[in-house]
Amino acid sequence: MKEHARHWLGAYLDGELRGLRLRWVESHLKECAVCHSELEALARLRTLLLESPAMEAATPPDRFVAQVALRLPRRQEQPPAQRALELSWRMVPVGLLFALAFVQTAFTIAGVLQVALSMGLGGDMVALLLPSSGGGVSFPDLAGLSQASLAGAFGAMVELIQTGGALAWFPVLYLSLLVVIGLLYWSWLATWWARRRHQQLTASNNRL
Amino acid sequence: MQRKANRGDGQPVAQAESELELIHQAQRGDRKAFGQLVRRHREGVVNVVYRLCGDEDLAEDAAQEAFIRAWTNLPKYRPRSAFRNWLYRIANNVAIDALRREKETVELEAVPLAHPDGGPGALVERRERGETVRQAVLDLPPASRAVIVLREYEGLSYKEIADTLDIPMGTVMSRLNYARGLLRQSLAPYMEGA
Repeated sequence: MKEHARHWLGAYLDGELRGLRLRWVESHLKECAVCHSELEALARLRTLLLESPAMEAATPPDRFVAQVALRLPRRQEQPPAQRALELSWRMVPVGLLFALAFVQTAFTIAGVLQVALSMGLGGDMVALLLPSSGGGVSFPDLAGLSQASLAGAFGAMVELIQTGGALAWFPVLYLSLLVVIGLLYWSWLATWWARRRHQQLTASNNRL
Repeated sequence: MQRKANRGDGQPVAQAESELELIHQAQRGDRKAFGQLVRRHREGVVNVVYRLCGDEDLAEDAAQEAFIRAWTNLPKYRPRSAFRNWLYRIANNVAIDALRREKETVELEAVPLAHPDGGPGALVERRERGETVRQAVLDLPPASRAVIVLREYEGLSYKEIADTLDIPMGTVMSRLNYARGLLRQSLAPYMEGA
């Protein structure tokens, strides 16, 4: 026990002990004269060490800084194209996240629409939208698309859902997209890990 | 050199923030910002190298070498560890390399141990004692010397020493214990009067 406490005296002197160990060493010091004198010896050693003078720099600070500045090598700058590529690479997960959000949203809306139509809730809407229905709804002319083409595209989609064709390809398409996004993400992660490991190995080889 | 009053990073918050800004500027290639960093840490780096290699001429040159290495590696620096500790790590490596190159020179210039009673006056005696202590530190094995210098002369905590030298905290403590044991032996004649 005494030997063990002696092992911690240096750390105690350095103020590195906390909690139980600190209290243990403190209480031990009160009852152990050997450890107490050991601690005093360590404190004397510390005082003695500080008697060794620091170096008085021969070079004034300004001159030292100037000398360092003169010896600084040109640092290799990363070309802008490479920087842009690096930034794009870092943004890949964000892009994949957006793609995932888009797929989820699109398929949720389509699913809701499908359920609504199957329950007969969208009958009037279909009648209005399908070109063959002859409905008199006025669509705004968005992005240069004509009223007929907008109504046609939407109508075709609704018709496809209504006829039950979507039931077959919806889950397959949904899962395929999820798998593709997942694969892309894991590939990115694996590449990131490989690059990081390579950089760490290079850094340890090029010891500072 | 006097013991540093602060432990931990040893810097006020405002200074640490402005240092971080200087580091970012220097990382982008701003040589003036790097000059400011050199000015701030010159004394510490020079003294660490001096304590480790024991040669004043070598210390200034090696300290400059340390700053040049720091400049080259600055883009890789991440502020997870204190900049000062990162610099000390480089300084330690530079000192080891410099010692390796200049081993014979250092041995030739080694100061013989002075007798505690030697010297006509108190000043001379104090100076001799200082030199003896310096030589005793230099005689330590390099690994133990590095921890004792960072602890006793630069006031780094065990955690900071561990980060700086890339060794576990337990190793820091055992190396310190070992170094102190050796120093107590080699400085035994002076221990009573300290």
